[in-house]
Amino acid sequence: MLIEEFRMHTSLFGTRRFAVFPVFIMIVVTGATWLLGLTGTSMDTVVAGIHLVVFFFGLQVGTAGLIGRDAMRDVLGDMTLLVFSARTLPISLRRLLSIFLIKDLVYYFLFFLTPIVTGFVPLVFVGELSATNLALLWLTVTGTFAFGAAMSLTVAGVASRSRGAVLAILAALGAGFIAGPVELVAYTPYGSYLDRSMAAVANGFVPLLVLLVAGPLAFEPSSDRSVRRIESDRFKQLRSLGDGMTARPLLEVTRSSGSVWKVAFSLGILFAVAALLLDRVAAATYIEPSAGIGFGTLLALGTFTTYNWVTQSDDPREYLRYPTEIGAVFRGKRRAFFALSLPMGVVYLAVAGLWYPVSELLIGLVIFPLVSVYVYGVTAYLTGFSASELLFETSLFAAYGVALAMVGTPLLVTSLSYSTAPTTSTVTAIALSVGAAVVGVLLSRRVGSRWQRKLRAES
Amino acid sequence: MPAVETKGLAKQYGNICALDSLDLVVDRGELYGLLGPNGSGKTTTIEILTGQRIPTSGSVSVLDTDPVENPLDVRRSVGILPEREDPPSFLTPREYLQFVGDVRDISDIDARIEEWSGKLEFRGILDTLSTDLSEGERQRVMLAQVFIHEPELVFIDEPLVNLDPLMQAEVKDILTSYCEAGNTLFLSTHFMEVAEDLCTRVGIIADGELVTERDPQALEENGLLETFATEVGDREPVEAGRS
Repeated sequence: MLIEEFRMHTSLFGTRRFAVFPVFIMIVVTGATWLLGLTGTSMDTVVAGIHLVVFFFGLQVGTAGLIGRDAMRDVLGDMTLLVFSARTLPISLRRLLSIFLIKDLVYYFLFFLTPIVTGFVPLVFVGELSATNLALLWLTVTGTFAFGAAMSLTVAGVASRSRGAVLAILAALGAGFIAGPVELVAYTPYGSYLDRSMAAVANGFVPLLVLLVAGPLAFEPSSDRSVRRIESDRFKQLRSLGDGMTARPLLEVTRSSGSVWKVAFSLGILFAVAALLLDRVAAATYIEPSAGIGFGTLLALGTFTTYNWVTQSDDPREYLRYPTEIGAVFRGKRRAFFALSLPMGVVYLAVAGLWYPVSELLIGLVIFPLVSVYVYGVTAYLTGFSASELLFETSLFAAYGVALAMVGTPLLVTSLSYSTAPTTSTVTAIALSVGAAVVGVLLSRRVGSRWQRKLRAES
Repeated sequence: MPAVETKGLAKQYGNICALDSLDLVVDRGELYGLLGPNGSGKTTTIEILTGQRIPTSGSVSVLDTDPVENPLDVRRSVGILPEREDPPSFLTPREYLQFVGDVRDISDIDARIEEWSGKLEFRGILDTLSTDLSEGERQRVMLAQVFIHEPELVFIDEPLVNLDPLMQAEVKDILTSYCEAGNTLFLSTHFMEVAEDLCTRVGIIADGELVTERDPQALEENGLLETFATEVGDREPVEAGRS
């Protein structure tokens, strides 16, 4: 499976570009820690942030469990992966899934996590981080990634048996979180970075081990499901939102594993990241950021996950067989993207109202859709039908990161300046968002011709 | 004017030559078969003829239209079924055909779905998710999407794959009567009996070159196989390329 994964990536991106990726990650991390140091951010905050990012990434990688064989076939065509060999070889799907999970952990450890931690090495030389802490960071970052991946695979596994059970687990976690004080961090590998006692290490790693076993065990192979008949006018109903190109991705998202909940889950992770980030920023800088601008921006930046879901079942070459421009396909994707992301964003802003004043969140209702237009335009323009290719394609990853930072950074700065200059910050944030939306619209208009040209010329 | 005409058509994938100066003429009303081993250039030929790929050099005309310059005009007039193409997993056959009707702007799509699901005997699974269908059922749905807009020219890569013997006979009848009505069928296959049973003319392609053309009905029993063996069997094996 490791060879398979390596060859898949090198064939997608080319050996050289793929080989450069870990080096690029290392440079980005070193540069980011240096810049954060300049702004006075403490090393504890940087370490907390890197764990958060890696946990989020693990969750995203683990959602591969939500993608069934059919979706994989739609995307990859006739490509056959070893993880699907349970039908032809005497090996159970659960065992294959376990190996698949371990393969992912080894793979990301080599090409993603180790470069991240290596990016901290210069800090050891300048005395900002001890060698012991660096070694521990390596361990807890890897553990945190595994924790995220195993958690989403377990949720997907439980969902394949009972969606009600997933809702019950999430409700229990949510209730525990709200009722608090529950020190959830202590039960993650990051907890072992903060507290190095044996008990804390056990607390931090035992839940990970449980999830690593529970994820594959919980998974119910989809091939066991009975034939599903759907007698409805759902296609015609959804077509009224635009056309068939809109109805199709909406049906594919809602009927594939995880249904519309995977969209909510992905955006929910971003919501949690946004909430923690705003909390940490307030604690580190003693400045109360604007929750509306902060949530609106970060949730909108997170809608790239929604874009990934509305394109996950696509073989772009299929559309070349129809008498339609690729631009029409993207217009359908755009409508589906907004049909899913806008209501979700509004719901999460409403949830934020449990902690923040509603009046302060209202501006998020303006920022979120405008920045989402930008995110759609940039994502579609740069990645076409393959948003997941962002990972491990160095130049694409860099371009995408810069494009999001160009809008995200100034907006987050205005969110910080809100407490001292609320009117100016609000006007600036709206102006920035409108500007971003205009760029998003312009990019969206060029998406069709760009990808039509690329697909037809593809070798 | 012929239904399909290519002159000096070539396609290069990096250093692999998929098509090498292909000259092809298919007249209207013909049931033309392109026969060749795996990797000989059959699929690339169909992809260029339907505007999905841009050739490296040469000229193409399909129903008097250049698919390189006007791919949408060509695709409006033709039906296309690539090899191993399935309906989208999470749509039912009815929904997929409604989607095709939407893209092709067919106003009476529901009536046509009834008609073609009856002809290809899949009315019973019209509302089943495609992911739960058998390979043969999926192939029938894909055949329906080829014909549902009543095109005057159809390109099919391996038409009988995954179909049971009774359905194969049924599909052969549909294809034959489609051409008898004055339409043109361009088949690509590496199954000898499909070419022999169905085609009015067969072109044998190897290493991207059209090596010979034959009328299978004018050949003796196993004549096509012998021709194929003579023309293709003696060639030096080449590096595997695109099909």
